[in-house]
Amino acid sequence: MRPAAGIGLRSPHLAEIGRDRPATGFLEIHAENHLGGSPARQAIERLRENYDFSVHAVGLSLGSVDGLDETHLGRVVELVKRLKPALVSDHLSWSVHGGRYFNDLLPLPYTEEALDVVVRNLDRLQEALGRQVSIENPSCYLGFAQSTLTEPEFLAELVRRSGCGLLLDLNNIVVTAHNLRLDPRDWLKALPGEAITEYHLAGHAVNDCDGEPILIDDHGSRVGDQVWALFGDALRRYGPRPTLVEWDTDIPALPVLLDEATRAERMIQQVRADAARAA
Amino acid sequence: MPLALRELQAAFAVHVVGGERADLAGAVMGDSMSADARLRIYRHHVAYSLGSALAATFGTVHVLVGEAFLRRLVQSFIGQGLPVQPVLTEYGADFPAFVAGYEPAASLPYLADIARLDWALNVAFHSPAGRRLAAADLAAIAPERLPSLSLAVPEGATLIGSRYPLDRIWNASQPGAPADTVDLGQGRADLLVLRRSGDAAFIVLAVGEAAFVAALIDGKSLEGAAEQASHADPSFDLSTAFARLLSLEAFAALQQGAEGEG
Repeated sequence: MRPAAGIGLRSPHLAEIGRDRPATGFLEIHAENHLGGSPARQAIERLRENYDFSVHAVGLSLGSVDGLDETHLGRVVELVKRLKPALVSDHLSWSVHGGRYFNDLLPLPYTEEALDVVVRNLDRLQEALGRQVSIENPSCYLGFAQSTLTEPEFLAELVRRSGCGLLLDLNNIVVTAHNLRLDPRDWLKALPGEAITEYHLAGHAVNDCDGEPILIDDHGSRVGDQVWALFGDALRRYGPRPTLVEWDTDIPALPVLLDEATRAERMIQQVRADAARAA
Repeated sequence: MPLALRELQAAFAVHVVGGERADLAGAVMGDSMSADARLRIYRHHVAYSLGSALAATFGTVHVLVGEAFLRRLVQSFIGQGLPVQPVLTEYGADFPAFVAGYEPAASLPYLADIARLDWALNVAFHSPAGRRLAAADLAAIAPERLPSLSLAVPEGATLIGSRYPLDRIWNASQPGAPADTVDLGQGRADLLVLRRSGDAAFIVLAVGEAAFVAALIDGKSLEGAAEQASHADPSFDLSTAFARLLSLEAFAALQQGAEGEG
């Protein structure tokens, strides 16, 4: 898939996209929203004629010490085999314990033990799909005292041991860095760049927590300035990749979302032009 | 001694649904923002996101009771049972039964049936469209075989019977509906909820039609189902009812070879 900017496909926009087929780099769907036989699933299958797809899972729970839910895995495999997307991804987090699903991207301690668990689950996932999966850095609201690796170190080690790709979410870096008192530019520096397969961009909210501002990854607004700036840094450091603009709450009219993607596309073009001039 | 990952996830799982695990805060790094405050963000998000998923699935219940009441209702439900898998449109099968026993909603006796209707519409919407029985399919069957024919409703279809006029309550709850009141004395409703090509919808059935469809779902033949329908409503007319249901695409297409079976 060419390194262009695309949008998250959400149900309020489905009819409009099906009718108008607006130009955009690719469409990304959440796997868990399309595992049944709904009209939306049929519409997506029709859109495959016009768009590249990315399948982004949110519920595989790659960090669960219990291992993967084989039933759910089978359904995701079926979807991926059917849609043949250019990219498949999920998160560095866990959301299932004791057979219960929490619908949140819960944090992992960055330890050797957790690394073993995630590698084991990722191996199972990549084996079942017969392809590489990319792992997204999550938004974090806390850190664990027992962590012995930083998040970028943990991700780099995952890449080395499992052969996975990295889905670099610039908004999540900004959110995590603010909340855990880290420098987002330092965070960005230490990655195996060749493993990056996709960038994510989104908006976040600023809430009050214990009288202090905390950033919440709500995907409910335009991409913030700090995230755009970090995206520029990532483009210059690691080069263009397929770039997704996500918007999941207070979803705006489609032109607003497309406008955000156009801004991302212009930045990609600019970096490419700068690189061509420098060469 | 740090918590092993299994223990840490078990503690987190207790915490996010409102339980207390003192050892968890000790594992979390706090600074000017305490470990407890940081943990509460996850607890809040779990409750809010699951509640929002239920509010979307049970949209008519949401409209009828309003945001504040619904949030209390869904939080009580979530406290009794989290999802067991990550597809949230499949979470809430037990919600109608929970609503039926939810004391603060006792003054809305039809609410549990509305929850059943919301759930049935949700199930139908997420089911494959599937081919439907058409008049032409029946033309291929020898007339003497018709009485013994078995018919199925489409995948994801549900027959709902209620003492209350569910169809009117549902219609009055839709965006833009006139602000008319519904007379609960208008009596029972029997609805067949079905996947349509672009959505899910319900058909309002007469008493005899409902008995007919219920008997077919139970595996009765056309002849047996018609007999049961006549019991429920002596004025039941098979050819009229069958033609209407056929035109509303209320039956699944015959399985390969089914027409040859006795």
